[in-house]
Amino acid sequence: MQASDAAPVVVDGVVKQYGRRTVLDRVSLDVPPGITGLVGPNGAGKSTLVRAMLGLVRLAAGSVRVFGLDPVTSPRQVRQLVGVVPEDECTVPGLAAVEMVRYAARLSGLPSVEALRRAHEVLDWCDAGQERYRPVETLSVGMRQKVAFAAAIVHDPQLVILDEPTNGLDPIERRAMLGRLQTLARRHGKTVFVSTHVLPDVEAICDHVIVLAGGRVRLAGSIESLTRPAAAETRLEGTGPLDDLAERLRRAGLAARVADPRGIVFPTPDAAGIAAVWGAATAAGVAVSSLAGTHRPLEEVFMQAIATSQEPGHAAA
Amino acid sequence: MPLHDVGYRGWTGRRRGPGQAIGVIMTTGIRLAWTSRWLRRALLFAWSPALFFAASFFAFEQAIDEGRLSSMRDGARMGRNLDGVGMLGTVLADTLGRQSGADAPKTEEEEIAQTRRLVWSRLLLAFVRAPQAVLLAVVVGLIAPALISRDLRAKAWLIYFTRPVSRLEYILGKGLVLAVIIAGITMLPGLALWLMGVLVSPSVWVAVATWDLPLKVIASSIVLMVPTALLALAYSSLTAESRIASFAWFATWAACWIAHSSLTTADMMAVANDPAARVDRDPSGSLWGDFDAALGGADRPPPRKVRWFAKAAGLDPAIDPWAWISPYHSLGVMQGWVFGIERRPQAILPPLVALVTLSVISIVILWRRVDAPARA
Repeated sequence: MQASDAAPVVVDGVVKQYGRRTVLDRVSLDVPPGITGLVGPNGAGKSTLVRAMLGLVRLAAGSVRVFGLDPVTSPRQVRQLVGVVPEDECTVPGLAAVEMVRYAARLSGLPSVEALRRAHEVLDWCDAGQERYRPVETLSVGMRQKVAFAAAIVHDPQLVILDEPTNGLDPIERRAMLGRLQTLARRHGKTVFVSTHVLPDVEAICDHVIVLAGGRVRLAGSIESLTRPAAAETRLEGTGPLDDLAERLRRAGLAARVADPRGIVFPTPDAAGIAAVWGAATAAGVAVSSLAGTHRPLEEVFMQAIATSQEPGHAAA
Repeated sequence: MPLHDVGYRGWTGRRRGPGQAIGVIMTTGIRLAWTSRWLRRALLFAWSPALFFAASFFAFEQAIDEGRLSSMRDGARMGRNLDGVGMLGTVLADTLGRQSGADAPKTEEEEIAQTRRLVWSRLLLAFVRAPQAVLLAVVVGLIAPALISRDLRAKAWLIYFTRPVSRLEYILGKGLVLAVIIAGITMLPGLALWLMGVLVSPSVWVAVATWDLPLKVIASSIVLMVPTALLALAYSSLTAESRIASFAWFATWAACWIAHSSLTTADMMAVANDPAARVDRDPSGSLWGDFDAALGGADRPPPRKVRWFAKAAGLDPAIDPWAWISPYHSLGVMQGWVFGIERRPQAILPPLVALVTLSVISIVILWRRVDAPARA
């Protein structure tokens, strides 16, 4: 992605070293409005990048801008605009859930009464209201995750950074959490930055994805562009004699193949070709349930990027 | 979903400025500390010495009211042991025994005012210096070690340093937790003692005559607060295990106390074997100075049960050469200076340097450690 002033977060040539180990090596990226996923193997530098966005680490080179502000020189202003759900569980032992969220709100500058009102409100929205008066250290892992999320958004930040937000959540809660992130981004215009290992989560909600490996950006772009196959293909799913349909399409000049028992794949035809496909399906007695362009699974894209990064002598993307 | 769930709503209110975080961290810290039953018990117990001192205030004002000050002064000048009336007698013996020459009061009112001022000062000094300083070490040892180490263990530092909270605000907030509790041990009972003294005195104008004493109580409490809170927080920031920080805290006080006692004992033995050194060490010519005379002659040291009090109240004129080695004794010297009872630079400077050094080292440790996990 090219850096642009409109992007809420702009990272430009960032280098971070711990001793002799380079954790971030000339990292440049944008986090555009919407939901952006940051994926990468363990030790890729994801957490360090998040800390750099908050001005918590001293950079050897490069710069970070969050809404045009430098987190190193203006940490207070930046952190007022940002809400963070860290990967590590962080609690204040002895505080009840609502007290902890209120504490987070007050630390972010909300007045006392407003902080309490907001704490109740976001806990309800996060579906953690029923546990609000229990000490946080006695809550289940999933409930603690929801409380941490509530604490991150209680001050209504413009940028929400989440490190493994679905850790410890059951499938229903996981779906609900992803739904909340979509609500924040689509309905309330927040920028959401999700660092995760769970590629289906990224695929489900993210508009953009950044693949970080070995301290370098290996891939960055919209999900749609990254998962688009090299040659446009269309997949037809349906019930009936798919082999017969594939044969008919081949005779019509389309290089169709049976991909699996439920569908066949062929190069995307033009409008006349699509009409021919429908005609062939009717003739073969196939009941079509879907006809759509194919895409590469994100996992395949990710694995390819990681594999490329591990090749000797490979240059940064 | 609850019926009252209003969904997510933005917030456009006005945020408080920098500095609010200090108060938030402080109040939350105090509330969490207050949940400890041991702390509540210790604080309650910490007020008990005030009762004994209150009895002395009452007895002194009663003696004035009954017109017995002159006879007690005569007794003190003749070397009568006034220790029979407890701490007050010890202070009176010294105070009244010294009043002679140009400084001697001209009228009875002057004598009463002058004596009251000195006696109250010494009682208050002894109160904040001896029992309260020891209790302070215990109470701080109960709560301070967990203040930062618990945040490190529970990774609560992420809550602070991903929000608009600076290191300074965090340290000040945590420090004020200790300052408030220390104030509850030293400042509040000290002020209560002064107020009680005013209330049992014959006139409320005594409050005007002794206006500076509450300020001195506050100042001496601050002298106690700053180095102790910084040292305790520095220990707490060095480990995620509060038990280790607690051990280090108590070990420091105990080890320094033992070192001080050993060196002082060795010194006294050397002085006993070499009378010439005695004069070098103490310009007054006696390790116990006028105090010995007031309590029965220079040859006889004061009774052991009174000796701690005599030192605490600043009646012992000898300079403690090893005070700098022990925080407790250094703080005592500085409190004596705050109350105007110790003015000699050679007595004040070594403890002052020791405490300032200790505080600076603690600040450096705190500054480097509190957000170290965030930078790691």
